[in-house]
Amino acid sequence: MASGIKDKVAIVGMGCTPFGEHWDKGPDDLMVDAFEEALADAKISRKQIQAAWMGNALDDINVGNSALPLAHALRLKGVPVSRVENMCATGSEALRAAVYAVAAGAVDFALALGVEKLKDTGYGGLPLRTKGLANDLWLPYGSAPGSFAQLAGAYGARHGIAQADLKRAMAHVSWKSHQNAVTNPRAHLRKAVDVETILKAPMIADPLGLFDCCGVSDGAACAIVTTPDIARGLGVANPVTVKAVQLSASHGWEMQYGAWDGSYVPNTRAAAKRAYEEAGVKDPRADISLTEVHDCFSITELVTMEDLGLADEGRAPFDILDRCFDRDGAQPCQIDGGLKCFGHPVGASGLRMAFEVYSQLLGRAGARQLKQVDLGLTHNLGGAPFNSVAAVSLFGRLN
Amino acid sequence: MPGSDAPPFRDRFIAGVGAYAPLLRLNRTAAAKALKFSGLGGRATGFRALAGWDEDALTQAVEAARLAPGRPDNVVFASTSAPFLERSHATLVVDALALAPHTRTNDVAGSRRCAVSAVLDALLGRGETLVAAGEKRPGRAGGALHLAYGDGGAAARVSDRGAARLVGYASLSHDLVDVYASREHPDPYAYEERFVRETGVARVVAPTIKSALANAGLEPSAIRHAAVHEPIAGSWRDIARATGIEAPNLASDLTQSLGDLGAAHALFAFAACCARAKPGEHVLLASFGSGCDALVFEITGPMPGADQAAAALRTGLASDDYIRFLSLSGALELDWGVRSEFEQKAQATVLERYGRDMIGFIGGRDAGGNVQFPKSRIPVRPDADGPEPWQDVRLADELATIVSITADRLNYTPDPPFWFGLAQFDNGARVMMEFTDADARGFSVGDRVRMRLRVKSRDTRRGFRTYFWKAAPEQRPSLEG
Repeated sequence: MASGIKDKVAIVGMGCTPFGEHWDKGPDDLMVDAFEEALADAKISRKQIQAAWMGNALDDINVGNSALPLAHALRLKGVPVSRVENMCATGSEALRAAVYAVAAGAVDFALALGVEKLKDTGYGGLPLRTKGLANDLWLPYGSAPGSFAQLAGAYGARHGIAQADLKRAMAHVSWKSHQNAVTNPRAHLRKAVDVETILKAPMIADPLGLFDCCGVSDGAACAIVTTPDIARGLGVANPVTVKAVQLSASHGWEMQYGAWDGSYVPNTRAAAKRAYEEAGVKDPRADISLTEVHDCFSITELVTMEDLGLADEGRAPFDILDRCFDRDGAQPCQIDGGLKCFGHPVGASGLRMAFEVYSQLLGRAGARQLKQVDLGLTHNLGGAPFNSVAAVSLFGRLN
Repeated sequence: MPGSDAPPFRDRFIAGVGAYAPLLRLNRTAAAKALKFSGLGGRATGFRALAGWDEDALTQAVEAARLAPGRPDNVVFASTSAPFLERSHATLVVDALALAPHTRTNDVAGSRRCAVSAVLDALLGRGETLVAAGEKRPGRAGGALHLAYGDGGAAARVSDRGAARLVGYASLSHDLVDVYASREHPDPYAYEERFVRETGVARVVAPTIKSALANAGLEPSAIRHAAVHEPIAGSWRDIARATGIEAPNLASDLTQSLGDLGAAHALFAFAACCARAKPGEHVLLASFGSGCDALVFEITGPMPGADQAAAALRTGLASDDYIRFLSLSGALELDWGVRSEFEQKAQATVLERYGRDMIGFIGGRDAGGNVQFPKSRIPVRPDADGPEPWQDVRLADELATIVSITADRLNYTPDPPFWFGLAQFDNGARVMMEFTDADARGFSVGDRVRMRLRVKSRDTRRGFRTYFWKAAPEQRPSLEG
């Protein structure tokens, strides 16, 4: 009988570069910056890293395939390194691998590092690549905003909410994240934006305007994980531990079988259910102190609040407008600015979310530090609502 | 007299017709306004049917052929603007219509007469033949042909039984160089209209029609409906005077409402004639181009597909956007930016494995009865627990309802926005797919949609394209207001 990984693995060091347009840095620079910060945090030497997982979603954008770019950049001599990729959930996937390695007793120290160098594409948005696959013969070449925008119409139709009302709630989602990012020195977009500007922004994919979409950024984030015992041996009396890491992936049901109405993300619900069980969370609204969710688009955050059980079905727009998820609300969400404003270097984002929860749990979040943080949730979503990989993780302290 | 000594022939019929016009109709007046400074563009009246970026001669031929149902032994594709020089379009028609793989196939081209010539060959032959014609001819901005031409498709199915019996015909082979296109000059090049009109009528069309009437043993007055492709728009009056025919020529009307449809023109007009003609009446079908074929039919009953063909003339979306026309017709190459540079190479091995299911829109019914697209070794049905046998199910003729939809303005498409979303088919299948033919209202959740064969991807670097089906509004807007 599987016992889960709750409290079997501690995070002893994390690093995260500022996210943004790093015209002067390559992926190796970003990896080194994040890793050196994590090493200093963990107070261990690089030679103690016994296994590493590199998360990189778009290898053709100036990173390269395999995990060798990581091994080269960090000069990890003879260390087993693997590249993992699960679209935008790649960062969480890297962390999951490292956590499992430690939990299995295979290694004492494992590294999970996510990196992306998107601004070498030469344009905004995510790159579009087809490879002559069978799916290319029929699947639309839709953009990420186009894929997620479809949640809005379907959500409105399911709950009888007019698109204008939904759009206003979505605007508040973005407004809130811009407000939060102002105090985050590592965030990509550190500028407050008023709601009317958000509502009047140019349309990207109906009904998502420019400000409904997250930043596309360069960046890297990483975590060094070990056992709680070793963490204590390093002088961390009450280390941050992993309470749950769960992942759920589409098997074709949403877009091939006629039951899903397009208004929510089934995998988020499945991953959250398992994560709550693994962590022993009975009442997520009461137990979870803060959430870092995959707000690639404002509508994604809106439906995620329901998918995670943080809002009743059909009520998220109202809870959002009631400021429940604002910094001073009952359930602070994206306190670091989220994908929306911290930025979204795809392979790094899952680890960036963990970095914020880790920082909040250790009281290191500076101007954005919340008063009481005991349990934080990260939600990292890859793909599209109709074909997704959702990772839900929970982090707290050992005691 | 050309062809007047045509040999006897047995009873053969046109058993079904089809016609297809693309959604957009460019108002030629708007084009003339845009070109006013130059004085170019030709006649400033009527409309020009304008194919979408994702339509070509093949897709339009297939859409027309879908209205002429049947299980032909032979498929002929006819066009002067076929997208491929080497790759059989007739074979693609067979796959797009999910016809039997042993269906014989042939592509014809060489002149805009080719489709009617193929119909005549079929009428003089045996078995059942489907002739599917389509045109999307290139042109240069400002050229008179660019606005005179239109895009569209037409089809006819020939059989031993049907609704229009061949009663006479004549053919004339005559290399009158009115228009040509060549490898060195792909855009059609035209010679002086007066020369073409006078020579074409006097030496080609009129004599051939007279021979066909003689062959049928009919007086000109017996013709009640004409589908005669004019050498030059407006020359029907001269043809009628020369032949003594008093019937209206729907092919002339077509040049005003859609433009000259090339290989599809006469067949399109014939399909529209069949919607009007009553049993016992005679219809004249004549094509022009490097000669003439003239065929006389007696209508024997209601013609399958004719009403839909006539209806195609009443629906569409008028456009005054000359720049959009230039772009869609390939006369203006816009700089679509870096996002348009993405790779779209298709692999022949992948096409071999999946291509027929794609262009035929073939899904499958699993052992539990659920319909799925595309098929997979293990069905998506939740209680499926391993590989199952499949029964093919064609989705092309199924209606669907929109589950989710967006107008994507980020990704490259030659005609923004890029509509895509989830379509729930009435038979249970659901497919994430592209949408096309949006009218001014666009698409919304809950809308009903029908399927249209379209170009899925264009690999401009290698000159290749793939085809798939896209969801379009179930009903097109009326042009009659």
